Formats: sequence, structure tokens, C-alpha cells
Amino acid sequence: MKRILISGFGTVGQGFCEVLSLRKDWLMERYGEVPVVVAAMDSKTVAKCPEGLDPLALVERKQTSRKVGEETYSDSLEVLGSVDFDILVEVSPTDIKTGGVGLKNIEYALSHGKDVITVNKGPLALEFNKLMTLAKDNGCRIRFEGSVGGAMPIINLCHENLAAEKIRSVRGIFNGTCNFILSKMDNGQPFEQALKEAQQLGYAETDPTNDVEGYDTAAKVAILANAVFHRDVKFSDVKITGITGITPEAIAQAASRNMVIRLIGEISETKLEVSPRLIPRDHPLGISGTLNIALIEADLAGPITIKGRGAGRIETASAIFSDLVAILDGRAEKLC
Amino acid sequence: MLVNAELYVRDLPGQLVGSIEPISMVDGNIVSVMHDRETMMNKRILVKVTFEVKDNSQIEKLKAIWKSRDIIICKMGSVYSTLSMDYMLLGSFTAAYVDSLIDVASRLANVESVDVSYSSQDKNSGKRTAMITLEVREREDLEKVDAFFAESCKRDSLIYIRGI
Repeated sequence: MKRILISGFGTVGQGFCEVLSLRKDWLMERYGEVPVVVAAMDSKTVAKCPEGLDPLALVERKQTSRKVGEETYSDSLEVLGSVDFDILVEVSPTDIKTGGVGLKNIEYALSHGKDVITVNKGPLALEFNKLMTLAKDNGCRIRFEGSVGGAMPIINLCHENLAAEKIRSVRGIFNGTCNFILSKMDNGQPFEQALKEAQQLGYAETDPTNDVEGYDTAAKVAILANAVFHRDVKFSDVKITGITGITPEAIAQAASRNMVIRLIGEISETKLEVSPRLIPRDHPLGISGTLNIALIEADLAGPITIKGRGAGRIETASAIFSDLVAILDGRAEKLC
Repeated sequence: MLVNAELYVRDLPGQLVGSIEPISMVDGNIVSVMHDRETMMNKRILVKVTFEVKDNSQIEKLKAIWKSRDIIICKMGSVYSTLSMDYMLLGSFTAAYVDSLIDVASRLANVESVDVSYSSQDKNSGKRTAMITLEVREREDLEKVDAFFAESCKRDSLIYIRGI
């Protein structure tokens, strides 16, 4: 029976527990057993049980008491060292500058031969190749489908279904918050008002810097460059322009030519860029709203477009669950 | 290079083949041939032919062969396929500034046509928007123009947005 340790118990961690519970029967039918959550930790507390915790009880406790466990801790690595687990689900908050506690947890798990599933962009954008080498050297797997595009299956699609293709370029909208703001600006709203609405609807953080300055998209671009194009790049290598300088006049002028402005991440052998781009309204990348979209140019298959929800509790948990299924199936991450 | 030519050939058997055979002789690629028997001039009939050649030297050879075969070249013109790209500049600048950028870009790349439009200047910020549409011959031209615009905008603190 596979034992799971969940590091980070915010929206995504709770969503994963819900999906685990929702798909309990499916897992039993497919594998003859259901993986158990042996530990769950938020930023201050931890709940542990070697026989397994009730995922839904963890969610309920977190929602009522704002704590996932009774026991407090100060060093997450001590918690990881005190629990016998097989798979680390690392969903702690992204720290794009240092990788934060997520990076330490992932390094610890991989160096101890544990499989890792993460949606934490910081560690991947900063230390991708180091983590992949660590996994390879220790004979374990690291999967990260939900780190780019949420429920949109771009990484596994490229690694598995398009494994024999030479991917020429990937261009896409990888930040739903920016796309929501730019879509609202298409209708005449100024930037500040559109941002305010995004915050009120829960699409944007109180501090929207990571989204509107393009840093979130840049982290995803760095991950895709490493994972799909096998490049050796870091977050700091990405050329970034955000959307804060986009004016209503610019939107109107683009509209007069039947175009919209969208924040596009672009990756190829030579490009590594996040910038606002002029997109014809009828182009696949001219979508409105919070959806994510990616246009993959493959040498044999030609252009492939995928679209999906880039964020959300259950949507991101669905990506984590797909990685869990891949690990349980014994499918290795194919990176080289 | 794609070339359209209109030729007048004598209305005799074998003349049509005689007019298009030289295109192959100079390593050209025939795209289409139209034999118009209704358009006659001095007992000659019209042949419209479209073909591809790499450069002007092949055309000069071809013209010489046609002349030696008593084929009259009535009209000849080349057609280029072009690539179009849109660019937008945002910030404080004048129309003269944009003109100077386009002048330099035209020297760097083979620019076929330029179209520029401006938004009115914002009274508070003094900012405006310029939308530039360029047509160029080669993909490399687009890359040169893109690199030049990006560098210029960075130097002059303007926001630069290009098409897809």
C-alpha cells in the first residue's frame, strides 16, 4: 500500500484529499488497494498516522480550526524524517525567489528515494535539472503536471503522447488572472478596475505582482523549456514583460485592427519569453476569460491546441491525481 | 521568385512547346500555362505562363532563348510572397521618432510596405500608442526588425508589443 505525505494544506492540498476520496472506489478497482495519507502538514501543524488518515476529516478539520493537525512543528524536514512514506505530494505556496520550503522538501524526499508529485512552480523553475538528476540518481520519480496550466495536460501530453515528436515551439496563455484582466479591458475597463474585479472574484491575489508582472507565467515557461525542450534554463533566463503598462488606448487600437492583446509565454529552441502580444481575434490564442491555452507545434503532428482550466481547487487536484495514477502505474517520467 | 510572362508565338504546330521548353532549359519550374487562341496579334497567339526561378540570371538566359526562337515577350513581371507583422509601441514619443525607427528598420531589412496609425496623446500621462504593420520578404527580415524594435523600445523606455 502506497503511503502519501502531503506538504501544504491550502486549497490544492485540500482539493487533492477530496479527489482521493472521490476516486477511492476507482483506485480500489484498478489497483486492489487505495493509497493512504500518512501525514499532512500545513505551514505550522502536522497530522500523522502510520495506518492512514481520513482525507475528508483532514479537510474538515482544516476548514473549521484553520489547522490540519494538533501537533506543531518548526522544521518540515524533521517531519519528513519522522514519517514513513512513499510519495510526497508537495503543494506548499510557491516561492519564486528561493524555492522556499517546497524546494527543501522535494530535495529531501528525492534524496531519500521517495517519489514526488508537485505543483509548486518555485523549485521547478529554479532548480529543475538538479531535481531531475536527484530523482534519477536515487531511482525515484518526480511528476509535476499541475505546475503548468493546472488541469490542462500539457507536460504529460508532450512526454507521453508526443514522445516521438520534435516539439518546435509552445506558445500559450498560462495565467488565467492576466487573461481575465485583459479580457475585461477588451470591454473598455481600465487596468486598475479589471484587476480589482479579478481580486473580488478570487482570481487575483491581494498582491498581484506575480501574475501581472508576468513572473508566474515566466516560471511556467522555464519549467516547459526544461521539461519539454530539455534545455538547461532557470527562471532568471526568461525575458519578461508584464501587462501593467497596457493602456485602454492600446486595447482600442488593437481592436480597430480586429486584434486583442494577450500575455503569451513562448518557448522554442531559441526563445524563452513572456510578453504581451497582438493576437488576431480569430486566432486560437485570442481566447477570453480565465482559461489557459497552449499551441504546440510538432514536426510530425503539426499544430496541436489544448485548452483547460489553469487553476482551481479540484482542477489542479485532478492534475496531481493524474500524476499519482502514473506513479502507481509505474510510468517513469521521461525527461531525456 | 515567381514570374508571370505573356508571350506571343506563331500560330504553328510545336510553337507552344517551343515557348515553354526554355523554362526547363534554364532550370525553372513551370507552375501554369494558358494557351489563349482567341487573343491574336499579327497572326500570333497569346501564351500566359507562370514559373519559378531562383534569380535574375535565369530570366536573362530565358529571354535570350525566347528571342532566338522568334517569341515575342509582351509582358513580364515577378511576384513575391511577403510576410506581414504587427507591432505596437506604447509610451511618450513623437511621430518623428517612429518615422526614424521605420527608416532604420527599412535599411536593416527588405521592407516592402509600412502602415502606421497613432492613438491621440493622453492629456495626463502624455502617452500614446503607435501601431505599425510591416510587410517583408523573408522571415529573417522579421527577426531583424523585431530585434531592432525591441532594443530601441528598451533603450527609450517604451512598451513594445509584437504580433504572433
